[in-house]
Amino acid sequence: MYQPETAAYIQQVSSGYGIAHSLPQYTFEETPLGLSSGGGGSGSGGGAVGGGSYGASGHSHGLGGPGTAGAGGGAGAPGAGLAGALIYTTPIFSTTRGTVGPASGLGAGPFHFHQQAQHHHNGHNQNVNHNHIHAQNHNTIATHHQSVSPHSAVKMESNTDDLAAQEAAARDYQPQPEGPLVGPKTPSTAITEEYAKGDPIYVQKTMALPQTYSHYRPIRGDGSCGWRAIGFGYFETLINRGDKALILAEKARLESLNDYIEKVGGMVLFIFQDMADETFALLQKISETLDDRKQALADLMDAFNEPQISDSIVYHLRLLASAWLKGNREPYADFITSDRGIDGYCESNILANHREMDHISLNLLVDVLLKPTGFVLEVVYLDRSAGPQVNTYRFPEEARNQHPSALGPMIHLLFRPDHYDILYPVDMDLQVHRVASFSHNFQIAPDPVALQDYAAPDLQVLSVIPGYSAPPPGLAPLVDATTGSPLTSYTSSPGSPWMSSPFADPTHQQHQHQAPPAPIPISAPAVVPLQAHPLRFSEYCQLREYTDNDTWREPTFQTTTFKNSHFNVAHYNNPNFQPEEYKPGADEFENLSPRSGGGRKRGSV
Amino acid sequence: MASQKRIAKELSECMANPPAGMRVSLANDADVHKWHIVLEGPPNTPYVGGTFGLVIVLPPEYPFKAPVVTFATRIYHPNVTNDTPGKICLGLLKTENWKPSFKIQTVLQAVRGLLVEPQPDDPLEARIADEFRSDRKEFEKNARQYVTQYAKGPVKFDKKLTSTAGDAAATPGASSS
Repeated sequence: MYQPETAAYIQQVSSGYGIAHSLPQYTFEETPLGLSSGGGGSGSGGGAVGGGSYGASGHSHGLGGPGTAGAGGGAGAPGAGLAGALIYTTPIFSTTRGTVGPASGLGAGPFHFHQQAQHHHNGHNQNVNHNHIHAQNHNTIATHHQSVSPHSAVKMESNTDDLAAQEAAARDYQPQPEGPLVGPKTPSTAITEEYAKGDPIYVQKTMALPQTYSHYRPIRGDGSCGWRAIGFGYFETLINRGDKALILAEKARLESLNDYIEKVGGMVLFIFQDMADETFALLQKISETLDDRKQALADLMDAFNEPQISDSIVYHLRLLASAWLKGNREPYADFITSDRGIDGYCESNILANHREMDHISLNLLVDVLLKPTGFVLEVVYLDRSAGPQVNTYRFPEEARNQHPSALGPMIHLLFRPDHYDILYPVDMDLQVHRVASFSHNFQIAPDPVALQDYAAPDLQVLSVIPGYSAPPPGLAPLVDATTGSPLTSYTSSPGSPWMSSPFADPTHQQHQHQAPPAPIPISAPAVVPLQAHPLRFSEYCQLREYTDNDTWREPTFQTTTFKNSHFNVAHYNNPNFQPEEYKPGADEFENLSPRSGGGRKRGSV
Repeated sequence: MASQKRIAKELSECMANPPAGMRVSLANDADVHKWHIVLEGPPNTPYVGGTFGLVIVLPPEYPFKAPVVTFATRIYHPNVTNDTPGKICLGLLKTENWKPSFKIQTVLQAVRGLLVEPQPDDPLEARIADEFRSDRKEFEKNARQYVTQYAKGPVKFDKKLTSTAGDAAATPGASSS
């Protein structure tokens, strides 16, 4: 879809003012190497600005004027030529993601944000990476400017048409939301992996996420994701309750709200009748197939992935929320900043097709849809706010300070800036055990936990072990923590594979470890096997000792020499510099000295 | 199609109680997704005395996608392309502004409003918009001339024309500026 434009853009870049947008290997252009390379290029190019090419690492920051790569350079500007060629070969330029192409143009600052704003549904970590790269590349650009500024000023001018064209292309670009409207239930470690190379705060928070929420369900980022997620969660929770009478009661309640939409919401019945009917039809359908929960959930998935039905239900929810706002102006009036008042807000923010759900809409929908049924919404905010764990908030507000066991069924959403997905927590029963084990095993638990935490994604494999799926209530945590402690085995035999040791009788269960995790059917939302997680991880997250000093993520190197050398990727001189990065599978040596990591306190990220 | 019921209701409403100066009918009785509207030029405009044909095509996704409205009759107007079928630039119909709660009647009223009050700041025909702003007399003269030339007598909904409008349904908003 966007690919042709990307290609056109590359053309412009190579003839114009381009930065080969590779990963920021060299942020130290002031080094003699950088200066001589860049300066030499511009000198021999005779007016054409030569690109500094750092061939050794196979990357280049090309800074070419018009014609530099081709004819203009003429006599011996191999650097420039190379830069031009490398622009085509750098991985990011050849990627099919439209995001990257336009966003890499120099002087295109304004539409970096534009692009990111439009793209955040495609993958948040991409944007995070962009930020990252951009910050560094601007350094690069700045240094180049110092050495070649007279030329580049001219170039900028001659290139405004190109820039205008690029800007126009970026402006007209309509992101094509990807994926199904409502995706399959996916292990939430996928989110961890998605962010593994992103911002450290995201890395930290997504690392902790699977310990509380074993699965998530991606929702298409088309602007209605919040509405669709809550709608789906509502239906799904009704199915999981398995109470036919409740579903029919809900149907009757929503049917009676048609009148409310009409009278209070000021909407003509025939305008929304078709949409509301889809909601009622789906309620009817799941009430009929309720005995076969698998079938009911399959019906629900089908309905929510059929655009006409899905959009109808979503719009019905929007109408409900809008009517609810009009009927309850008092509590909300002060929060609405729209200059057209509550009615204008309804029109522009709630009833606009594919308009993102904001906080007020979320409250409204909870009040009108979930609260009367006793359902509780919990939103997990994954953002760059401080702290090692995601923040969660419950709606309605009354539910905030209550224990989950005192509340009705809960729908969990994962919020990333401007996007909602559905989350599924690890089994509730075990959360109770976890609390129990917390006090008993306070001293013992941290060590195995600290180790295992590194393996959070891989521990999915363990989920198939029957013995772990149903530990005896109350007793289980104690048994796990004592017999399963890997501390001794790690310290005595550092080379032993870590995977086998957390278990009391590894020989017995070894085979099962290696069995691939069975695909989890969507019909089993409270997936039993994953109960192994909270026992081992979650309490650790709550210990200040660990959350504060952040040691579990810190790359651990055995010697100071290595740690301070540029061979360490965490060192700023390393060509592949990756600050505080978590790499799954690269941390075996971490296990060698679990305690030494604990002693090293370096400020927070 | 799930929206049949709504379309049928909207149609009967528009037929029984049409917006001022309009007559609504179906292009083809078997298809509720294609409407023909005959629009009388509103009084106190240069279009008075003319009858204009409008074609409304409702996409299959209606009401989640905006209807596509085109002029079957040529008209001299800053917001309508000066050809056949005349594409209309109407803010209401743009993808980002369209709401499933809008009625076709609202759309029709908006089209009529556009004849009463052209929007030269959001033009499809920049030349006509300039003329409208700078030389209103000349604009009105030209508009009247178009009425005399094209908008007299019964409206012809060209079969071919209607199908072109149908094609336009595939890319709603593509022509909007």
